[in-house]
Amino acid sequence: MSLVSKNSIQVAAQSLGIPNLGDEVAQALAPDVEYRIREICQEAIKCMRHSKRSTLTTDDVNSALSLRNVEPLYGFSSDDPLRFRKALGHSDLFYLDDKELDFSEIIDAPLPKPPIDTTVIAHWLAVDGVQPAIQENPPPGAELTLPTEQKKKIEGQPGLGAPEDLPVEVKPAVKHVISKELQLYFEKIMELVTSGTDSKLLNDAVRSLASDSGIHPLVPYFIQFIQDEVQRSLHDLPLLFTLMRVAEALLANPHVHIEGYLQQLIPSVVTCLVARRLGGRKNGYRHWDLRDFSATIVATICHRYGHSYSNIQPRLTKTLVNSFLNPKQTYPQHYGSIKGLVALGNRVVRLLVLPNLATYLELLREDLDPQKQKDEVRRYEAQRVYGLLQVAAGNCMFEALKEQPQLGELLLKSRPMTGAKVRTSKAGKDTKPEGPSAMDTSAPEARQTRQGGLPGSSGQTEANAGTNGSVVGKKRRRPPGETQEDASKVLAEAWKEEGDTWRLFGKLIELFGDSMLPFVPRPQLTLMHSYN
Amino acid sequence: MKEEDLNRIVLSYLKKKGYRNAEAAFKSESKTQSLQEMVNGQENDLDVSILNHVYLYVKGENSPSRYGESYSKLQAWVHDSLDLYKNELSRILYPIFVHCFLQLVAKGYPTEAREFFQAFKADHQSAHGRDLQKLEGVSNPQHLLDNDLAKSYRENKFSVKLCQYSCELLISFLHDSEMMLMLSLVNEHLNLEVVPGQPSPLPEEDEAFTVTGKPQEALENLNRSEIRWGQLEDGIEQRFEEKMAEEAAEAANEEKKEGDPSKPPSKKLKKDGKAGGGAKAGKQGAKAAASGATRVPSVIPLPRLSEEVEGLAFEDLRKRVQLGSAALPSVCFYTFMNHYNSLNTVALSQDGSKVAAGFSDSSVKVWDMSKRTVSQPQAQSAEARTSEGAGPGPGSQSQAASAPGSMGYSLFQAHSGPVYGADFSPDDRFLLSSSADTTVRLWSMELGANLVCYKGHNYPVWDVRFSPLGHYFATASHDRTARIWSTDRVHPLRIMAGHLSDVDCVRWHPNCNYVATGSSDKTVRLWDVSSGECMRIFTGHRSTILSLAMSPDGRHMASADEDGTIMVWDLGSGRKVVTPLLGRNGCVWSLAFSSEGSLLASGSEDNCVRIWDVGASTRAPKGDDKPGTARRLRLLKTLPTKHTPVYSLQFSPRNLLFAAGAAQRPKS
Repeated sequence: MSLVSKNSIQVAAQSLGIPNLGDEVAQALAPDVEYRIREICQEAIKCMRHSKRSTLTTDDVNSALSLRNVEPLYGFSSDDPLRFRKALGHSDLFYLDDKELDFSEIIDAPLPKPPIDTTVIAHWLAVDGVQPAIQENPPPGAELTLPTEQKKKIEGQPGLGAPEDLPVEVKPAVKHVISKELQLYFEKIMELVTSGTDSKLLNDAVRSLASDSGIHPLVPYFIQFIQDEVQRSLHDLPLLFTLMRVAEALLANPHVHIEGYLQQLIPSVVTCLVARRLGGRKNGYRHWDLRDFSATIVATICHRYGHSYSNIQPRLTKTLVNSFLNPKQTYPQHYGSIKGLVALGNRVVRLLVLPNLATYLELLREDLDPQKQKDEVRRYEAQRVYGLLQVAAGNCMFEALKEQPQLGELLLKSRPMTGAKVRTSKAGKDTKPEGPSAMDTSAPEARQTRQGGLPGSSGQTEANAGTNGSVVGKKRRRPPGETQEDASKVLAEAWKEEGDTWRLFGKLIELFGDSMLPFVPRPQLTLMHSYN
Repeated sequence: MKEEDLNRIVLSYLKKKGYRNAEAAFKSESKTQSLQEMVNGQENDLDVSILNHVYLYVKGENSPSRYGESYSKLQAWVHDSLDLYKNELSRILYPIFVHCFLQLVAKGYPTEAREFFQAFKADHQSAHGRDLQKLEGVSNPQHLLDNDLAKSYRENKFSVKLCQYSCELLISFLHDSEMMLMLSLVNEHLNLEVVPGQPSPLPEEDEAFTVTGKPQEALENLNRSEIRWGQLEDGIEQRFEEKMAEEAAEAANEEKKEGDPSKPPSKKLKKDGKAGGGAKAGKQGAKAAASGATRVPSVIPLPRLSEEVEGLAFEDLRKRVQLGSAALPSVCFYTFMNHYNSLNTVALSQDGSKVAAGFSDSSVKVWDMSKRTVSQPQAQSAEARTSEGAGPGPGSQSQAASAPGSMGYSLFQAHSGPVYGADFSPDDRFLLSSSADTTVRLWSMELGANLVCYKGHNYPVWDVRFSPLGHYFATASHDRTARIWSTDRVHPLRIMAGHLSDVDCVRWHPNCNYVATGSSDKTVRLWDVSSGECMRIFTGHRSTILSLAMSPDGRHMASADEDGTIMVWDLGSGRKVVTPLLGRNGCVWSLAFSSEGSLLASGSEDNCVRIWDVGASTRAPKGDDKPGTARRLRLLKTLPTKHTPVYSLQFSPRNLLFAAGAAQRPKS
């Protein structure tokens, strides 16, 4: 019945040199043994509590034994809690892994190092009740939110005294003090970033920025630093890259609360995204990479803080769309703004890029044509933007198609459209401009329902188009055909998200040609072929 | 009651008990009618239930299973009773359960006892888990004598509060369903306290069965006895107030009659006693009354402070920061590294400049923090702290006497067992340490040497505390006593016996007339130092009391236990001032009141320093004396540390909070 079985008693008796302990004796002893063991355990727990621990150690048991005037058990002392191992084949049998040691080996072994002596380290756990964010304190976070909730809960309870009794808390402005260590850290990072020589060290620094819990006090300084440097050294592409890496690391650091500084940080990042000229001439094409990288940062910011700060994304998109629709800006700027919009997600692309696509491509085509545009660089830039738009539109369409359930019916509906597509692609370059020109007339209608930022720019687009020569004018005079009417409707609906995806698809193919086809998901593609 | 019934009962009883002669005699006598007459004479007085009792006693005496049956019946009845009375009635279950078990053991049915225990323990696990642990192993009558908990349960009665109706319900149920066994248990071991009025609507969470070793009435009388809880008369604070008043008056005087310095108010006169004349004393009295604090003269001779110390104390009082719910203290934390789990206790000197640590390897180490270049984020504050350090004398020599300076601490070795308690004298010149080797040692900080070894306890000394003015000290020990000593005698002056288990912690009342002790028997007791008698018993905790703190005005006491529950008591009334927060935050190792008593800091095992608002909680609005309206402690701030349980807390006289703990390896 008791936890100690009579067999255990007999085994213990044998080990003490009593070979034949009677069953009855063992039976009678067992409960008492259990009681004594429990007693010792309870005394040991007392010793544990007075040693201010919550783990029972062998020392505690020995102290308890000596309290009862029993010889302590030798050979079990250990600094660490004992590690028990499960005996194979038994669910609740454990044993200590006690290795056999060779005595001569121990004697021959060099003396172990003496343990490090006990030290006391002082730090400020709180200054006027506020925990400074230093290495010695745990990072602010989950633990800190709990007490406030608890406090609220407690205050909410009746009979606690009216809250108005409580004095209003007026805190004097606290001077921001930064420890020497942090100052050194900041200077070192600044030096590394600006010199930009040792890439390995720089990698370490960025990693530290992304993970260190104690750097929160430095955040405003880092942000300021990024801002200043971006403004000052737009020509220095590697530096800009490094700065963006720093910004990304700060955003990635879970211990840093960067929300308060976002309005300062975003302009710097957007600058790296849509600046007219990034880096000197000698850096050639690398500035595209920087724009790509900055775009991901913008996306990160929106993704992470868009929920809590609702005005971030609208402001960002507004800036980017303005830049995108401003024909006075260069292609790299357009590229950057499109890239930014693309990074914000397909929905943004659908709402803001696609409706303007036709107009924009019209503009672009001028420069894509090697006969019309002699400047190699400008043509390359235009190609790049074209490629980006193509990918963006394609991805957008891919997502939309994937979500389209009623394939058959829609395909049937869109058959004329695909037919048109086939026709245009067959017709080649000459017929292509037709679509876009049709778009030009229909675009304003679509824009009227959109937000205010666009009408002005649309005017500009048209003005710009006008300067491109009489070709456009001529085309505008031509009466719009059936397909063209359709197209305008499609794009008007596209941004409403209620429109027919397949018609959007057709339109895109019309705009981009067969290069859109790889973006069609496979099942839909086969279906389409079967209909064709 | 029929005659043959009666005869049958009496006969079976006699048979059972083996009174053969009596049986025979009874048989013969029953033939004559004398018994019949006798019974007839008494029939009106005889209660049927008593007869039943006798009958059932005979029937069920030898069947231990009846305990289980009756108990489960009672349990079912309680659980099915009306919600209104359920809470009250369920209170009797635990004592009945315990006594059923203990009786089974006492009668020699270990197997049945254990079966009974296992079957019904689940109900009481949450509220009395620790006690059940202690009782579980008890399996033979000898253990009942050894086990202190079992012993105290058997020797004392449980007090259970019931309202009139619940009590009647219970008794009538026990009578009606012929549960004589339960009834006898109730009679024998329970003290049913009938409370007038309605049954208490809510389960009182603070309702904890605590055996105090005294009958309930005696306990209540005890807690009603008068206690002088005020601040010490002529204490440092009072003198400071006087001095301030004096200075103000002086300044006023000087303004009035600048050219007349003939009568400068003499400080000496004032210090020698109230020589200032009746008028002045009257004024002081009025002032004391106005401030609401009563002053109490000490009943034991106290040492006088030197003028130098007094000057420093005045300086501290002048610079004290006022704390409150809006003004939280700054906390300086001392983290022990590389302690190899052997750190048992940390003592902080009043101004936090010295840290003494007691280790399992019987050593005591003292760090002088003011001497070290501490890496501080705020260099200025660090300076402020060091300048706050005690007078120029004490620290300078201790290092010379200590082991090599490179260690950064002074090592004191003389104990022969783990050191469990340590405390600095108020002037930081001496250190007391208590150890498992049953001794207490007095160390001189100036000499860096052991001065006295106090032997008297028979078991490990868990805690030691200097009195607020030094000279005397109190110890708490595993031998269930607390003792009062004076530093110049090697034998104790008073022995306070009464706790039913280890005395785990001890604190002095600020006026030096009382000491409070917390014990493993879950009570806190207050003792009169001069008579050595117990003045108050505070019950309500559910587990071992680990730390105590006295408010500086001497009115309140805070106690904390192993479960993390913190309670604040009014010493005068012996009642709880705030109902406890039954937190499961782990052991609270340390409590400290801020120097003016508005905040309470607690340091616990769960790596947190918590700041509680005592001022608002205890300053109850008028008429808020009913226990039902007790309020909760308001948590102001939680300051988490980095994997460091907080072992010790100390507010400096200027209200800077010092905390210390040993860094643990983060659990991976």
